[in-house]
Amino acid sequence: MEITKKDVALAGKLANMQVSEQEAAIYEEQLRALFKWVKELSAVNTDGVQLTNVNITAHIRADQPQTDLARAALVRSAFNDAQDDCAKVKKVL
Amino acid sequence: MMTIEQIIHAITSGEKTAEQITRESLAAIAAKNAEINAFVEVFEQDALAQAKAVDEKKARGEKLGALAGVPVAIKDNILYKGHKATCCSKMLENYTASYTSTVVEKLLAADAVIIGRTNMDEFAMGSSNQTSLYGPVKNPVDTTCVPGGSSGGSAAAVAAGMVPLALGTDTGGSVRQPAGFCGVVGIKPGYGRISRYGIIAFASSADQVGVLAANVKDAAIALEVLAGKDEHDSTSLDAPVPCYAQQMTADLKGMKIGLPVGFLDGLNEAIKDKVSAAAKRLEQLGAELVEVDVPYAKYSAPCYYIITSAEASSNLGRYDGIRYGYAAQQADGLKNYYENSRAPFGLEVKKRIIIGTYALTSERYEECFLKALKVRELIRDDFKKAFEKVDVLLTPTSPTTAFKLGAQEKDPLALYLADLYTCQGNIGGLAGISVPFGKDEKGLPIGVQFYGPILKEEKILNAAYQLEKNK
Repeated sequence: MEITKKDVALAGKLANMQVSEQEAAIYEEQLRALFKWVKELSAVNTDGVQLTNVNITAHIRADQPQTDLARAALVRSAFNDAQDDCAKVKKVL
Repeated sequence: MMTIEQIIHAITSGEKTAEQITRESLAAIAAKNAEINAFVEVFEQDALAQAKAVDEKKARGEKLGALAGVPVAIKDNILYKGHKATCCSKMLENYTASYTSTVVEKLLAADAVIIGRTNMDEFAMGSSNQTSLYGPVKNPVDTTCVPGGSSGGSAAAVAAGMVPLALGTDTGGSVRQPAGFCGVVGIKPGYGRISRYGIIAFASSADQVGVLAANVKDAAIALEVLAGKDEHDSTSLDAPVPCYAQQMTADLKGMKIGLPVGFLDGLNEAIKDKVSAAAKRLEQLGAELVEVDVPYAKYSAPCYYIITSAEASSNLGRYDGIRYGYAAQQADGLKNYYENSRAPFGLEVKKRIIIGTYALTSERYEECFLKALKVRELIRDDFKKAFEKVDVLLTPTSPTTAFKLGAQEKDPLALYLADLYTCQGNIGGLAGISVPFGKDEKGLPIGVQFYGPILKEEKILNAAYQLEKNK
């Protein structure tokens, strides 16, 4: 599981982040050490291990449709401008 | 600073008003914060208004809440409507909460006074509080040392006597490790015990709200206020909340305390001595010590860094300049707009996103992410079996005491090891508490930790309370 500058650059690209040459050099060294450590996991026999929910005892709301007016009002209140009951957002591009 | 119990007594007896208590807290912050840097904002006017409302309530003869007039600090990743919540990141420098988190709602309903927001590692990713937009926090015990992290501001605020109570969040030890470094009590309840509605997400399968206080009883009083099911958080557990503070009076006769095999191997001598001394003291108090084997627990740290980084890479995807966070002013196309808008992330946050994204790539998914999830199952099974034999486990809180500011910046793996004993609790979903138990040769606090299963916080509180009383 050798990590290279190329891997760092690819992960940065997938995560929509610019990674400078200088940052890639720092990350490459640090991540190499980290993933060497992570490699220890490969020694663990996980054959037949089934994944369970993180929190199996948590409550689940009944599957019934609800209208959450408070949430809609919250979303609208997050924007300064509105028109025809629609939030107006700034032009991105 | 007075304890919560003392404040409640002073207010109910008429010895002091909530306004006086709040002004004392504000004065302590004004006197010490320039050096410690625990608070990034103080809500002076709001806090005084809340305190006056408590005094008026008392004057009307109405029943006061469980935290009436108690000044409480909240970590900068906990939402409080109309107030900034920045995660100490340039990314959220101008973000103002549009709603209030359940934990803050509960504090206000209990008549607490929200005094300000505390410093933290950027997006709660760190163990030293050195990655904050607002600069590092200093440990009040020795200001050349870190306070731990990521809730370093909350721990330092309690340790410096600025507030009797502070909220933190704990994804890999971010409440318990700074509590240990600063010599205060820090409890992270089991997964689901406290609602996370209104907490800015880092890693959803591990994040929990925790409490930092000057002593175990204060932590118990606060936990009782905060715990319970919340319709806004489906991971919160639907179970009754015990009267924690009242249940701590039981002696330890019959309590089985597990000592995990191998946990003290290679450990700093001072810490090893204190954990051994704590075990001996608990035995003298009537507890039975039992060695337990948790063979997979040693894999907790690598599991933790893969799983939480993968979840962070997903959770932090929302900071794209459109949905949340800094919005770039210039861009050449949509992809470039996202990239420019995500540029304010600090080095550590970017690194964790890169780790998580890399672990989730199709080439690495099975050997990294899926493997870590499967090993987590084995670790959980280990703890489940251990709690069939014992009531609680005793471990160190951290492998070292507080280290010097800047000392481990060039060796992030050493920094990651600071979470060695605490991240097991998040990987296992366990309840954990750090309680101060002595100091090392430099006079720096040493914390010992108790673990208990989900919904058994009363057991770790009781063990910690008895140890605190019988140091």
